[in-house]
Amino acid sequence: MKRFLIVMLGLAGGVWIVGAGISLYSRDNGQAPNPVASLPDPDLELAEFAGALTHKKQIPGSFQQQAVPFLEHHCVRCHGLVAPKGRITLTFADEAAALAAPALWIKVVQALDSGQMPPPDRPRPDEIEMRSFRTWVLPVVSAAGSRGLPLRRLNRAEYNNTVRDLLGTPLTPADDFPADDTGEGFDNLAQVLSISPTHLESYLSAADTLVESVRADAELWRKLATPPLQDFIPFVSRGVPPERADAVKGLLNVADDPESQARAREIDRSYYALQAFADRSYRRPITHQEMFRLMQFVDQALAAGEGADTGLARAFKAVLVSPHFLFRMELGRPEGSRNNGWTEFELASRLSYFLWSTMPDEELFRLAAKGELSIPAVLNAQIRRMLRDKRSRALAVNFAGQWLQIRSLAETARDPARFPEFDDGLRHAMLHETEELFDHVVRTDRSALDLLLADYTFVNEKLARHYGLTGEMGGEFRQVSLAGTPRAGLLTHASVLTVTAGATRTSPTRRGRWILDNVLGAPPMSPPPGVDTLAKNVEGKLTTRQRFELHRSRADCAVCHARMDALGYGLEQFGPTGGWREHDDDGPVDATGVLPGGVAFHGAQQLRAELARHPDQFVRCLTQKLMIFALGRPVTGADGPALDAIVQHAARQDYRFSSLMIALVRSRPFREFTVPPGENP
Amino acid sequence: MMKCHFSRRSALRGIGVSIALPFLESWVPARSLGLTADSARRLIYLYAPNGKLMSDWLPTSRGSLSELPPLLRGLEPWRQELRVLSGLSLKPAMPAQDGPGDHARAMATFLTGVRPRKTSGADVQAGVSVDQVAASAVGNKTRLPSLELGCEGGKTAGICDNGYSCAYQTNLSWRSPQSPMPKEINPRVVFERLFGRGSDAAAREAASRRDLEHRSILDFVAEDSRFVRKRLGRQDQAKLDEYLTSIREVEARIQRAQPTMAVGAKKLVKPTGVPTDFREHARQLLDLLVVAFQADLTRISTFVLGNDGSNRSYREVDVPEGHHDTSHHGNEVTKLNKLRRINRLHLDQLAYLLGKLAAVREGDQTLLDRSIVVYGSGIRDGDRHDHDDLPVLLVGGGNVLPGHGEHLAYPVGTPLCNLHLSLLEWLGVKGERFGDSTGRLLSLVG
Repeated sequence: MKRFLIVMLGLAGGVWIVGAGISLYSRDNGQAPNPVASLPDPDLELAEFAGALTHKKQIPGSFQQQAVPFLEHHCVRCHGLVAPKGRITLTFADEAAALAAPALWIKVVQALDSGQMPPPDRPRPDEIEMRSFRTWVLPVVSAAGSRGLPLRRLNRAEYNNTVRDLLGTPLTPADDFPADDTGEGFDNLAQVLSISPTHLESYLSAADTLVESVRADAELWRKLATPPLQDFIPFVSRGVPPERADAVKGLLNVADDPESQARAREIDRSYYALQAFADRSYRRPITHQEMFRLMQFVDQALAAGEGADTGLARAFKAVLVSPHFLFRMELGRPEGSRNNGWTEFELASRLSYFLWSTMPDEELFRLAAKGELSIPAVLNAQIRRMLRDKRSRALAVNFAGQWLQIRSLAETARDPARFPEFDDGLRHAMLHETEELFDHVVRTDRSALDLLLADYTFVNEKLARHYGLTGEMGGEFRQVSLAGTPRAGLLTHASVLTVTAGATRTSPTRRGRWILDNVLGAPPMSPPPGVDTLAKNVEGKLTTRQRFELHRSRADCAVCHARMDALGYGLEQFGPTGGWREHDDDGPVDATGVLPGGVAFHGAQQLRAELARHPDQFVRCLTQKLMIFALGRPVTGADGPALDAIVQHAARQDYRFSSLMIALVRSRPFREFTVPPGENP
Repeated sequence: MMKCHFSRRSALRGIGVSIALPFLESWVPARSLGLTADSARRLIYLYAPNGKLMSDWLPTSRGSLSELPPLLRGLEPWRQELRVLSGLSLKPAMPAQDGPGDHARAMATFLTGVRPRKTSGADVQAGVSVDQVAASAVGNKTRLPSLELGCEGGKTAGICDNGYSCAYQTNLSWRSPQSPMPKEINPRVVFERLFGRGSDAAAREAASRRDLEHRSILDFVAEDSRFVRKRLGRQDQAKLDEYLTSIREVEARIQRAQPTMAVGAKKLVKPTGVPTDFREHARQLLDLLVVAFQADLTRISTFVLGNDGSNRSYREVDVPEGHHDTSHHGNEVTKLNKLRRINRLHLDQLAYLLGKLAAVREGDQTLLDRSIVVYGSGIRDGDRHDHDDLPVLLVGGGNVLPGHGEHLAYPVGTPLCNLHLSLLEWLGVKGERFGDSTGRLLSLVG
């Protein structure tokens, strides 16, 4: 029997032996990607990004003028040289000494932004003081920002979506994976997503199930096992090149007999099918070295007489368990190469997992391969296209569902005796309404403020009845006007009102807290220890309001509860399942509330009007949450300047959702890519 | 040690790969054939969330348990095996600089004795849990070093306790300070992990083919990881190392799985999914746990009845409100009654497990004699969130351990980790300290 020679010398050194071979498909075109063009940006006034993108040299003396008075007035009493609290000292000999500790300034900004510092018993800095200090500190903090994004694995939703798009399968194997842990409110945080042996077993088992089910489906299998007509990946982005692709395939000396020729054709077919599959699975060009290793599955299967398809199936499984598939690996370039061609592909993945919770589609891959995706005009157009695409529903389900905490409707309980209306149908309708509104804003590019203020919503019959809306309604969801009703925007969605209530009664604290966290972006400090015992020893029956007034009987509680409870009262006209009410168990409802700044309001409508007066607050909060979701890491003080720039940009375009997303994608935190140690970008 | 003995697996290996074992009651343990003298010890921790109604939990006096307190009455059949431990505490769970977050800390410290780092996103850090210390010492004798089960999965919306990542509140078991061992809640998935997807000869052959294939895939991806590792930053390397460690662990499991053990499918019905009824759910998982012990697929397990802070409702016992809401009872009578019912429902699952373990004979003992079951909560009273004088029970262990049928009252503040340390010793794991331990619970290990 003739044997094929698989000859390879010095893989690591990249020396390949060339031989005669055949190829049915013409690919290796040797074309280099276009250099990343830097055209002027039609959509963005780049100047406004200057603060976020570059770090102007500090003006000499600005530390003395802008920072020192602030520090001396508000900080050094506790954080001086002698016995500094928390061992944090904010006294510096000169500006150089201050600049030498960038990490410290990040902490300072965080403590200020979160309201943790100065402590409650000390006066707050006024706006002028804050502005002056920020002028000095923000560029410092911005310069200390992190590089690149942390390595993250696909979470369950992303895995399911990715295999759907990769294999065309309706299976959702990740439903059986261990639950993803969450942090910062989201289940896609790099640091929190861990891998255990149980995960790995699940990945192996899912790869079996997926590949075997695809193999059992002639149509799906044909798609995967047949090479595409053209490989659009530039040759140089596959790493150390062999002089002939045949060397990688191991097709060096093919004899003339029909058996050998047939076998060679099988190898050739497998090779290009596998290459296309691995490209899409790894979401970047697979390297020649990786292909060489993957092809061994096919070689071994052929040698064992199992047929090329069996080897191909095994290689597909290996790809699905590879860290290059399971993690969003950002390497910038193939090993040993100096061509940064992979960054474009990494940008494509950042976009697709952010906007779609899945892998890039062919259009994104093609633009990345041509090196055109990062051209501003192209990028903007792609973001718009992706937002219009139905896959952006993932933003409503995965982002909004977690941002607004409405996913927890699934585990929200109500006493069926008191709230008979709260069944699974209503629960589902509530969730659906909010997802629909979010999806509508995303796909039709409405103002982000519509989320807060929309005088329309989406209901089915069941929810319409719950809201007391009249008119013809079916089981289907449809857009309806809310004009003339007390409802408008997210704050009066039953989903939000329900997840922020207790099992038997509303909770102004939770609702107030929810608004501070998710609308105003001003979360309160953590409560002091022992708070749960507060209402314990109080005799007699109290009204909800009296019960909550107790929060203010202790000075350390009052600081935050004054803010939370007072806000939450404004929604008291909506019961524990979000239904309208004029009375609660204690009598007529008093929906008078007070905003953190001290402005009083009555009811949801006035609350909305007040919130609408400062649209930046809401949009900044939304942007911050989007940023956590996009980056898979906490957003810190160092991201502050970028956040501000994004909001300013969106403001100029009436907060159109696409303008927000474009500015976010183009912001520095989103565009930071890992730079190999010791190299300049 | 003194005598060389064969493990059950090496015995089977001698007989041949094709051996099919009948299961459960009809299953004859290898050691009763005289092939092994190994009397394997098993350890299981059952975690109940949100504390207990302590007035109904604590015996009125120390020493002999002549009468069981109201909550524990369901354990009457095991009164003589029961030890009620009081006074044990989790100092690392008490609020310090890190402020509130008692539910997160209760769960994160229960088996680790290490204060978790307060972080909601980056840098999750707890400690290695006692079950994982045990698993790394004795787990190589079984296919699965440990088995993590539970009735409640992760949170669907990611807001957890006061600035702590939900990882602390959904994981009881930690393989390393950064890497939790997630629990499995789906009985069907547990079944498949333990026993594969079938039991006939064809399925077994398919399984061994699959094992072979999996090994070649694991070799491939391990190489992938090693190649790419050097190109990553330090933090990313740590993440990838979790993956690499998991590969090695799964490779080892496949090795240890030779030969594949068959299951008498007649005796054990494959579950179809996650039952909505709590009792049914817990029992299906406990059944699988007992079978896993019996077949010596694992010797160490943790079982989470509910995540701490859980606000699950229990319609099974007519409590439509959430458990957490109810646990903040403020001494309201209706809430106290509801809490009582939830507490009892959880304890019923312990009773169920004990019944199952006691029904399995191994040589001249029962499986319960060779197991220690610890049941407890990292919070004492859900209304107060305190971590002193925790509700902890210990059952089983046969005659080796003293104190059965007694209420053992330790000085309040005695570290719970002293118990963990004693149990590690009982398993034959050497060590002088665990977590914040100050010594062994003296009266526990004679």
